[in-house]
Amino acid sequence: MSDDDLGSFSTASPDDPHMQPLARHPERAEQLIALTMVIGIVLVVLFGVAYWYNWKPWTFGVTLGGGILFLGFGITAWGKYLMPKGPFVEERHDLRGTDEERDLFGAAVTQRGAGILGRRKVLAGTAGLGLLAFGVVSIFPLLRSLGPLPALTPTRTGWKRGTYLVDSTGRAIHVDDLAVGGIVTVYPMGLQDTDQGQATDQTVLIRLTDTNYTTRPGRETWGPAGYIAYSKLCTHLGCPVGLYEQQLEQLVCPCHQSMFDVTNGAEPDFGPAPRPLPQLPLYVDGRGFVRAQNGFDQPVGPGYWERS
Amino acid sequence: MSTTINGPSSSKQSEESPYGPVGKVLNELDDRLGIAKGGRGLVDKIFPDHWSFMLGEIALYSFVVLIATGIFLTLYYVPSQALVTYHGAYTPLRGQQVSQAYATSIDLSFGVRAGLLMRQMHHWACDIFIGAMVIHMARVFFTGAFRKPRELNYTIGITMLILGILNGFLGYSLPDDLVSGTGIRIAFSILESIPVVGTYLAYLLFGGPFPGTAILPRFYIIHVLLIPLILIGMVTAHLFLLVRQKHTQFPGKGRTEHNVVGAPMVPIFAAKATGFFFMVAGAIALLGGLAQINPIWQFGYYRASNISYAVQPDWYMGFLDGALRIWPSWEWTGFGHTIPLEVFIPALIVPGIVFTLCALWPTIEAKYTKDTAVHNLLDRPRDRPKRTAAGAAIFAFVFMLFVASSTDVLANFSHISLNVVLWAMRVLVIVVPLITFPIVYKICVELQGVPGAGKRKRANIVSRSETGEYLAIPAEQRPGDGHHELDAETVPSYIDFQDEEPQDPGTRRVSR
Amino acid sequence: MPKLTKQLLLPALVLLTVGLTMMILFSGGSSSATTSAESIPSTVTAAQALTVPPAAYQTGRFNSGTAFSSVRVHNSSGQLIAYGNRDITYVAPSDKLIPLGEALYMQNCASCHGSTANGVPANGTPGAYPDLRGLGPATVDFWVASGRMPASDPRNIQAERKQPRLTPTQALAVAAWVNSLSPATPYVPIVHSIQTADVSDGFQLFSLNCAACHTITGDGDALARGTNAPSLRNIPATQVAEAIRTGPGNMPRFTGNLSDEQVRNVVAYVTGYIQHPRDPGGFDLGGLGPVAEGFVALSFGVGLLALVAFWIGDRT
Repeated sequence: MSDDDLGSFSTASPDDPHMQPLARHPERAEQLIALTMVIGIVLVVLFGVAYWYNWKPWTFGVTLGGGILFLGFGITAWGKYLMPKGPFVEERHDLRGTDEERDLFGAAVTQRGAGILGRRKVLAGTAGLGLLAFGVVSIFPLLRSLGPLPALTPTRTGWKRGTYLVDSTGRAIHVDDLAVGGIVTVYPMGLQDTDQGQATDQTVLIRLTDTNYTTRPGRETWGPAGYIAYSKLCTHLGCPVGLYEQQLEQLVCPCHQSMFDVTNGAEPDFGPAPRPLPQLPLYVDGRGFVRAQNGFDQPVGPGYWERS
Repeated sequence: MSTTINGPSSSKQSEESPYGPVGKVLNELDDRLGIAKGGRGLVDKIFPDHWSFMLGEIALYSFVVLIATGIFLTLYYVPSQALVTYHGAYTPLRGQQVSQAYATSIDLSFGVRAGLLMRQMHHWACDIFIGAMVIHMARVFFTGAFRKPRELNYTIGITMLILGILNGFLGYSLPDDLVSGTGIRIAFSILESIPVVGTYLAYLLFGGPFPGTAILPRFYIIHVLLIPLILIGMVTAHLFLLVRQKHTQFPGKGRTEHNVVGAPMVPIFAAKATGFFFMVAGAIALLGGLAQINPIWQFGYYRASNISYAVQPDWYMGFLDGALRIWPSWEWTGFGHTIPLEVFIPALIVPGIVFTLCALWPTIEAKYTKDTAVHNLLDRPRDRPKRTAAGAAIFAFVFMLFVASSTDVLANFSHISLNVVLWAMRVLVIVVPLITFPIVYKICVELQGVPGAGKRKRANIVSRSETGEYLAIPAEQRPGDGHHELDAETVPSYIDFQDEEPQDPGTRRVSR
Repeated sequence: MPKLTKQLLLPALVLLTVGLTMMILFSGGSSSATTSAESIPSTVTAAQALTVPPAAYQTGRFNSGTAFSSVRVHNSSGQLIAYGNRDITYVAPSDKLIPLGEALYMQNCASCHGSTANGVPANGTPGAYPDLRGLGPATVDFWVASGRMPASDPRNIQAERKQPRLTPTQALAVAAWVNSLSPATPYVPIVHSIQTADVSDGFQLFSLNCAACHTITGDGDALARGTNAPSLRNIPATQVAEAIRTGPGNMPRFTGNLSDEQVRNVVAYVTGYIQHPRDPGGFDLGGLGPVAEGFVALSFGVGLLALVAFWIGDRT
């Protein structure tokens, strides 16, 4: 804003074409706009009534929204059609300063500012180092106090030798429970209502056949009476793989449609998942309950740096 | 009573003003704040009128609506994952153990009067906010408004877009429902996938393994305080730069690099801006009342072993979802470590590249075109075919990622196998941008070659002479087509209202 | 004709037409209307042996959709005609329907499933069409009453639900005949007192077991390799229960892992809140979730507002 602008006074008469409204019939336009404003006022007041008497929620939105919309339309139309149509102009001055101002500015910063630092290098260095040290150290409480370090936690689940498989109500699964083609989400007994049980230990139990089923070499005892258990955590991003298509014998992850072949150890044969779902080795105990032989043989869920 | 102690020539007594009580108040303020000089500049400031300059205003006004409705919501929402038993109005939830966050969100929807309206307005305003930022950014990009001296403003804008998207994700995760909780699980895994520091970042942010009880209160404070503070600061800076550098304008009659043609702040731009603000708020309120969004009572409370099919993030996160779906399952394992590239690349590298490319575009273009002059006049997109085609190609790439996030909907709708649709998406994401570039380039070049392209065509009146010859004569210009036939003049400081003509007693002059 | 009658004639005709049309369109009803199963006398003692051979869906859990239930009803010849409990009663189709069922079967089903329902058609590929024996009447009733069978294109990976060719009674008749070849359970379920079921429990069970395929709002979606999970919006209660217990097609079957009480709660939730969702917020935009919402926000929100801007501003 330079001093020249103070001198740019200008006068206009009301008949100046720039001061004329855009509308060809301003009085009619004014009446129409007044009408929309009145509708807006009525609707806004109606919102008050609707709120007072607790009408349905959609009436709140229609009255409030419609009212403000009409009022806004009125004000906008006033500005567009009834106010001076212009066009008006103003000068756009160079933002840059004059060469002399630049010279003074540059000199002030470099010579009075940075130059002073250069003359006392030791002090400048120590001050800088101090600020740097403070900056680094001040991040420590901000970051480290947030939570525990991962350590071995990503690898641990609640499944151990002999753990009973229970459903979401805590009822232990018996070998006679599922028919062939059935699926149930199971948790370690006692952990079905805990965060860890639901988030990490969640497992799907599928009955593929009536007889012992081997998914891969080395897993001959893992599928007693046709019961197969896989970790429910998708190895892509950890969504629960709850979608089972029993004729295709595929587990499909609902998030990004990775497809796991249940018959061969949940090998992903489509989609972005990189690794098969870990299989939980099972056995049927003397009373017929389905239990885990052991925990999972690898960390469950998506990959991370420390996973070997 | 005279105030001649200090101050330059105070020729007028500051108590009296020929402009009535308003003028008196202005003088008092000027005594204290010195607003006369700068205020006049502001009041006379010219804003160019083109309609595409108002797209950023949509974003600004929806941001204001977000803050207003957001404050209402904070009065009722409790950001706690502690379990409570729900005893409210919605029967299928009664007796369930849900988190306080979910319970208070449901109470907002069913128990608080106008609570559902506020929730829905808040959510619609967010979707519109980010959408408006995107088309505003597109307008800025395609008209070259990011060039010197406005690179900083453009960078601030891109940062606001990223922060807006992040804040939207945090916001819709706050109710702790099944759909958004799945998104939080995915966010945890994405963080985990970062090499070397992934698990540390994930555990530090979540306060332990997933899900923990710290994440929602943290999301809440970031969503309600940290990011809005940054956004308000950035919006202020964005607008300040706009006022200081003055808005750009399209070339046209009377417009040069050294002037601004348009309407002054007072009264015309203020009226249009205020009116538009009301219309944006009104549209959001209408949507909030008539169109249901995020019905969390139908989704249920988030439990980590539950999932729904066809779960999608909000629209502005769709490009992440699409990239994650189509990326092949490349995972690198070696030396006792794993890098899940099928997560790391689509979720972090690809968006990183896209946003960095957008943010660095002013620098890239300046280097490529060797153009370091100050530009206050805009380009028509057709006049810069390479920039327009490149922008269209990048846009097409991101758009295809959005389309890829709806593979299951497409498969369902078109009865094509999901597997086929996914493979098609993998191919299209690469092919469509590649063919968009030359097509858009060609369109721009052709539009340049056609005079008057894009303008309303004049009708031709066909007449037949007596000898049988057909003549086509352009019709008269339609009223409004030659709207700017007036030369621009400076904003008048004084309006010379003539004294009324003396009237005969007993007569009354009526204006018609 | 008196003037009043003339005036009333047209409206009366219109009402009659509309009324008749509505009755025809909505008279489908559920198969439960055809069996008088509302009052099952509990005349059986626990010691009475099961007279039905083990079926494909056998589970050992009590009150879970098999004959191992609180209530068992036998007819005079000792055949099990109904079993169940207060929550769900499973009823075998009446024997009187068998001749009708045989005739309908030969007309509509034998060309693919064979004249002895063993999946060997007269001149088709043996094994391409499933063996229907020993699957229980609920299975056959579900496929036929929902219109999936007769299949419009047997080569499709999944038979689509469509307008049923056979009426509910006819479907039961076919089920009766097929069951007579190799009697098995589960019988046709009748869910009791849906209004007083625990919809909260049903909601939680639905979320854990059903939402992964059918979506949490029950709209269904495309699954792997051309299959799909159908929408649940327009299905009678009996078919919901039948699908849960028999696991048709790619749908897994829920036998011992869901008790009859739990199935009743799920049926109550599906028929109550999936099929009649509470939408206080306005139009539900098809229940498709954030993609639809984003589309509306961008087109109606940003798009219309950009048009408003187009009106307000200049065009040069």
